[in-house]
Amino acid sequence: MNSIEIRELTKEYGRTRAVDHLTFEVLPGRVTGFLGPNGAGKSTTMRLLLGLDRATSGTATIGGQRFTDFPDPLHRVGALLDAQAAHGGRTARAHLSFLAAANRIPARRVEEVLERSGIASAAKRRIKTFSLGMRQRLGIAAALLGDPGVLLLDEPTNGLDPEGIIWVRELMRTLAAEGRTILVSSHLMSETAAFADHLVVLGQGKLLADTSMEEFIDARSTPRVRLRTSDPVRLRAALAREGLEMVGADDGRWTVEGIQAERLGPLAAREGIPMLELSDERASLEQAYLDLTADHAQFAATR
Amino acid sequence: MSTALPTRPVLHSEWIKIRSLRGTFGSLIAILFVTTGIQALTAAAIGQAEEGAMGEDPLLAAFYGITFGQIAAMAFGATALSSEFHDGGLRTSLVAVPNRARFYLSKISLVGGLAFVAGQIAGLATFLAGQSFMGPHSIGLGDPGALRAVFGCGMYLTLMALFAAGLTAVLRSATAVLSLLIPFVLMLSFVIGAGAEGMAEFLPDRAGQMMMRAEAGSVVGHWQGLGVLTLWAGAAVIGGWLAVRRRDV
Repeated sequence: MNSIEIRELTKEYGRTRAVDHLTFEVLPGRVTGFLGPNGAGKSTTMRLLLGLDRATSGTATIGGQRFTDFPDPLHRVGALLDAQAAHGGRTARAHLSFLAAANRIPARRVEEVLERSGIASAAKRRIKTFSLGMRQRLGIAAALLGDPGVLLLDEPTNGLDPEGIIWVRELMRTLAAEGRTILVSSHLMSETAAFADHLVVLGQGKLLADTSMEEFIDARSTPRVRLRTSDPVRLRAALAREGLEMVGADDGRWTVEGIQAERLGPLAAREGIPMLELSDERASLEQAYLDLTADHAQFAATR
Repeated sequence: MSTALPTRPVLHSEWIKIRSLRGTFGSLIAILFVTTGIQALTAAAIGQAEEGAMGEDPLLAAFYGITFGQIAAMAFGATALSSEFHDGGLRTSLVAVPNRARFYLSKISLVGGLAFVAGQIAGLATFLAGQSFMGPHSIGLGDPGALRAVFGCGMYLTLMALFAAGLTAVLRSATAVLSLLIPFVLMLSFVIGAGAEGMAEFLPDRAGQMMMRAEAGSVVGHWQGLGVLTLWAGAAVIGGWLAVRRRDV
């Protein structure tokens, strides 16, 4: 009852199609990374899911129900949409208190989430004095208020210091392990790789990938080894017979694409070629992601 | 339809919102203190100078402070709504209360309710405080029209707050609303008042003040005036609803 169902979701702003016939599902018990370049439609999808924007067509539901039909929404879904979305004139405690009051959440829960988010000492301060990192923590505190089964976090690590990033990562993993549904958007693959189990990738409002993190990596990285040998000439000839090419890298090392260490090692041994160093090198996830989304980036610098 | 009605939790939430913003809560308090204070000060200064020193209509003159108090009322209504339109505040609010009808109705009810309480207290306090300085020229609550005028003063302040609140939901900015409404209310009827006496009585401020006049207008009566101002405020509140109902936020 906590899964998120997106069906044929489309949103047009004038002539721009921000979300284009999107269909995917987000399941409980794991952290789903919601990836895509800026302008790919991630935030729009989240706003549509929360009923803040109206879909042109299609549906976005949580456990089969529209968010706007929940009588006690904060108990079902916690959302961090925009860390700036808090009135600067209020104190952190007042901000959380009015949210809590609207959903019959007791005042002591406000103190709990302030504590859990590490901003309890700043509870009486006006939000306009907060750094971006503190606002982000306040936003996460607000999302946790109703102890919801579903969390939607839009770029939660934005503006956080390294300690904060680790905190968010741990928090998401803990919440997912408790069986909650966690959808976390980011435009950074490297960051997402650190916490996501599953990936949904968008480009120009379309679904580019909906796969587990492992599959995503395996499907998109070509095997490559990095090696050092005292006899590059014989090794080059041996590899050429296999249809592989040895390319010179920096400081006397070589790289070979299309083969893994567990195959190349025995091959070199059979030929009696001494290997000084041999290791697998995975094409970086970042690169795989960039390759996937390159054609779909709305704003790209021309080179 | 009942799903649109305000609930206690949502009203409570809206109350925390108002209470926790200095400007908004300050304006609410100012409705009371400005109206009463200006009245008392003016009456103390010139009230006993001569018959009619405060104005030709002794009843309307008893509520002179409302000229300033209404600005506090409009500021209260406008800032209570405008806080939702800064920095994506409405997003945060609608995630907690996704039912927009309930959200808007609760907010408007609370703004109206608080302005009504502050306005009615201001009406009575203004009358009593002002008259206490009037010496021989003073009138009492038992005099004809006095109770109607006290009630009318409170209603005037309430409806002006709602008028500003509704307009703010349409224009999404307290600054825009106040810079539009204050000249409209303070100057327009003054400027066109002399020329078009009949029509000017339908302007929100003129109409609303009929309740506080000893003699009703030539076209608009005492209670009709209250009705006319209610229509102005009602139109603004409905306009605000149409704007909030469908807008992407």
